[in-house]
Amino acid sequence: MSVQRTLHLGLMFWATGTHAAGWRHPDARADAAYDIRLIQEVSQAAERAKLDFVFLGDRLATDPALQHSNPAQISRLEPFTTAAAIAAATSHVGIVVTANPTYSDPYSIARLLASLDHLDGGRTAWNLVTGADAAAALNFGRDAHWDTGKRYDWAEETLRVVRALWDNAPGPDGRGGRPIHHRGTYFSVDGPLDVGAPPQGQVVLLSAGTSDRSRDLGAREADMVFAGPQPTLAARREFYADIKARAARYGRADQVTVLPGLTPVVAPTTEEAVARYDELNSLLVLAPEEEVGELVRAGGIGEGYRLSRTSASRLFGVDLRGCDLTAQVPAETLAAVSEEGRRRLAEITRLTRRTATGPHRITYGDLVYATPTQLSHTVVGDPYEVADMIQEWFEERLADGFNIYPSSVPGSVTDFVDLVVPELQRRGLFRKDYQGTTLREHLGLAVPPRRSA
Amino acid sequence: MTGDAGLAIGYELQGAGLTGPPGVLVATARAAEAAGVDYLVFPDRPATATDSAGPPAAAVVAPWIAAQTSRIGLVTTGSTAYHEPYHLARMVASLDHVSAGRAGWQVVTGPDDLADANHRREGVDPAAHREARAAEFVGVVRDLWDSWEDGAFVPDKASGRFIDGSRIHAIDHAGPALRVRGPLNVARPPQGHPVVFASAADAPVASTADVLTVGDPESGDAGRPRVLAVVPFVGRTGAHAAELHARAGAPRSDHERAVVVGDPDEVVGQLSSWAGSVTGLTLRFRDPSQVAVFTDEVLPRLRRVRPDGAGTLRDRLGLPRAANRLAVQTATAVERS
Ligand SMILES: Cc1cc2nc3c(=O)[nH]c(=O)nc-3n(C[C@H](O)[C@H](O)[C@H](O)COP(=O)(O)O)c2cc1C
Repeated sequence: MSVQRTLHLGLMFWATGTHAAGWRHPDARADAAYDIRLIQEVSQAAERAKLDFVFLGDRLATDPALQHSNPAQISRLEPFTTAAAIAAATSHVGIVVTANPTYSDPYSIARLLASLDHLDGGRTAWNLVTGADAAAALNFGRDAHWDTGKRYDWAEETLRVVRALWDNAPGPDGRGGRPIHHRGTYFSVDGPLDVGAPPQGQVVLLSAGTSDRSRDLGAREADMVFAGPQPTLAARREFYADIKARAARYGRADQVTVLPGLTPVVAPTTEEAVARYDELNSLLVLAPEEEVGELVRAGGIGEGYRLSRTSASRLFGVDLRGCDLTAQVPAETLAAVSEEGRRRLAEITRLTRRTATGPHRITYGDLVYATPTQLSHTVVGDPYEVADMIQEWFEERLADGFNIYPSSVPGSVTDFVDLVVPELQRRGLFRKDYQGTTLREHLGLAVPPRRSA
Repeated sequence: MTGDAGLAIGYELQGAGLTGPPGVLVATARAAEAAGVDYLVFPDRPATATDSAGPPAAAVVAPWIAAQTSRIGLVTTGSTAYHEPYHLARMVASLDHVSAGRAGWQVVTGPDDLADANHRREGVDPAAHREARAAEFVGVVRDLWDSWEDGAFVPDKASGRFIDGSRIHAIDHAGPALRVRGPLNVARPPQGHPVVFASAADAPVASTADVLTVGDPESGDAGRPRVLAVVPFVGRTGAHAAELHARAGAPRSDHERAVVVGDPDEVVGQLSSWAGSVTGLTLRFRDPSQVAVFTDEVLPRLRRVRPDGAGTLRDRLGLPRAANRLAVQTATAVERS
């Protein structure tokens, strides 16, 4: 492809920040989840920085046990409601809404997304997830979470029906809606859609998942694939190449944007960035030592690990119970850690610049805080270091862009848009202004032709 | 009959060309708010009998309007047949949060063959269990709103306490038509319960609504708050009004709405005469030009429940904030043990 690749950036909106203690940071608003003005202001900040989109994730269950490990997933405003309020306060930035077909039906999804696309003037994207929360089934009259095969079969038929409803919905003149008379394995839907076709023709599609089925769906159908955490750079490279190779098989190699999550902890200087990272970690609430079992909830985005010295002891394979979190860890202890522990030590050094020996030593707190699996790749540094990492991943084809995870809200959003985006713009990596007003335009995608049923 | 009783006034925004481009809708909503209208009702039907586009879904329009107004109530319509109670409870609770207590839910139950034909899926035929589902639905939604007690969302930076888990409850609803475990993943709405409106004629839900919509001021359970649905034809003169009415096909009053025809004086007199018997009026305009005429000529002359236009939608309708049913149960359980 001769087309110039351009970097794409989205903002993952988690009201608590994506760091488990982000909401406690001095620059955070603890009650952001229910403050729609603040949510609008954060979206406006993303728009001023010319980001591609604001991303609204979703879950269909809650679990109060997550309060110290993953508070963002306990409660939130319903995403279409939030999206509508963001639409009213912005004019260019894309708005990604998560809608899970497993507990819905295609007509409802098609209608809500088309409606939003009208109100926001063609800025809507659908994050199609099939759900990782087994508990959601119990909120929707089912006894159990469907297995991956059934969820994706259902999701794919949903997508076919949704696309057909949009393709046959009333056109720009408000007329010409046609029935689709869909009769499939799971759905029977007559149509036509009562809402006009989305201004984008087809609302932008984003998919996220880990399974083979998810990768295939993303490569075949999605405009953006949202990539989850990967243990190594090699796995990251493999994931990117795999999505592109699969997309090429469907004749759409240059139409799928692969976006991993990225948590930038940035400040004007490296020292300040590390201090900020340390401050966030120091605000984490540890579970009491007597509680056994490090896994609070297994599975998917809602998974939350019990953060404690006991859990850290188990992971690192050395006894950390009773330790003083601020004290340095003796080099002998660090030499004795497990293989996984050694991997985490390298990660600690990358993030904090502290080492086993040398002037800045690894602390017990570093070990304890490094125990949970990270939600996304994290980079700690000054604006140049963060921009370097972004540029490297982009140029090395590990990513086409990133979904930015702000560790605190609004503080980390402000830091990223004020410190990193200008540097990316200066390097010619990121747009200085929007070239259009629709999300399709931001992504360089044409409005697809209408196909009749 | 109390001569000084006031009326709450709502405008229903459909069927009067009020569904044009989104900007028109905002302008209409803002004008209504400026004129002191208490609430807007957004009808919603997930089906069409024509090839033409209708308005965007009420669930998306209502919060969009909420973001562009500050005082007016916003009543979204949602059918028990085509929503899951968990989704519906979230959407309406979220609308109440983003509007700071201005949300209402007009519950409808069908039947609607065209909408049924858009929503059949494995295990779900909206036509099959319509009434049983409707009968359980509102109670489940209220329980979900109560599943977070007031104060369960703590976020206290100093202590690190984000929520109070002892004030968040599963609802464990298992009825013939619906099973929902809960809790909801949204904190309790500012009004406790957003205002639930239902038609007095809609048997499965009428007994569970906060406000009944009636077509005749003498019908419906008089012990409960009722609003009268009114189709107005206001003319410069009585003759002009009669002409407008005739041009619209001369609709008559029935059990669903009262048709009012007259010059501004006559309409004000007629509407004011109902002030003692109903809580409010929901105006269903047949023609966009009627919105302006009514707003300018009639509205300023009606005595109102809340002339200052302040407070939540419940305040505007004279309803108390809803008590938490689950918190009461918990307190009782504690007392017994
Ligand atoms: C980066 C990422 C973000 C996700 N976000 C959500 C989400 O917001 N809500 C949700 O229900 N599932 C979410 N998921 C779960 C997936 O969409 C998917 O349904 C789940 O992982 C199960 O499918 P799988 O077996 O293909 O992974 C996310 C997954 C990934 C990898």
